[in-house]
Amino acid sequence: MSASQIDPRGPRFGAWITTVVLAVVLATGWWPLLAAQTVVFAIGGFLGLQHAPYGLLYRRFVAPRLGPTDEREDAAPPQFAQTVGFAFALVGTVGYVSGLTVLGTVATALALVAAFLNAAFAFCLGCEMYLIIRRFAPATGK
Amino acid sequence: MTGVWVVLAVLAAATVLGFLLRGRDGRVRRSKPAADLPAQVRDLIDPASPVTLVQLSTTFCAPCRHTRVILSDLASRTDGLEHRELDLTDMPEVATSLKVLRTPTTVAYGPDGAELLRVGGVPRRDVLVEALRPHLA
Repeated sequence: MSASQIDPRGPRFGAWITTVVLAVVLATGWWPLLAAQTVVFAIGGFLGLQHAPYGLLYRRFVAPRLGPTDEREDAAPPQFAQTVGFAFALVGTVGYVSGLTVLGTVATALALVAAFLNAAFAFCLGCEMYLIIRRFAPATGK
Repeated sequence: MTGVWVVLAVLAAATVLGFLLRGRDGRVRRSKPAADLPAQVRDLIDPASPVTLVQLSTTFCAPCRHTRVILSDLASRTDGLEHRELDLTDMPEVATSLKVLRTPTTVAYGPDGAELLRVGGVPRRDVLVEALRPHLA
């Protein structure tokens, strides 16, 4: 696990994009978009936030306009949240593709709630609920 | 078209949830004394101090850092108040026995290990000070 520090506005920006993407998926049921979001979650969650596609967009296009900040936050919580998002998006994609539309809808809706809470309220559901998640998935790798 | 309504309903529900979570943040709750205090927690309680705040954290918790700053500052300025932090990342069984569902959760213990109160989320300094006052006198 990296002890790296990041600009906290980066994950917030990513959460807004994620919210829009998941809302479009939920409205249209267009699974290829959810599959793409699943890959985005996987990159951020497993390879690290420095490779996260929305983070690259943030650093390339948004951060230069916002100007520098002294605020820093630990990268571990948002990175963990990406792996939680990955799990939900994966289940959702499998649901849509296999014809279990209800499963796809529910998984996408839950991921949308988490992304929206992160974007609008700066509340990292996956992070605060880590202990509950751990109870259901005791072998979460780090 | 139903898809759009589903999205709106989900976002409305998430907004309500967001305000509920925000409202609960930092609220002080009086809790029933736990029957069995885990050894990891018992070891942290200072028997010489009227109140020990045990902050329960995980590695994946951003507000835990803010909580640490608030509580360690409060403890350093307050007589008879100690602050300890316990990382539960690798001991979820402790969280289960303490009935802790989210981090940070801060539990105030008396010198004998009796639970006085607990706070979910980032504590509000003035609210916490007020709640601790009778125990520090």
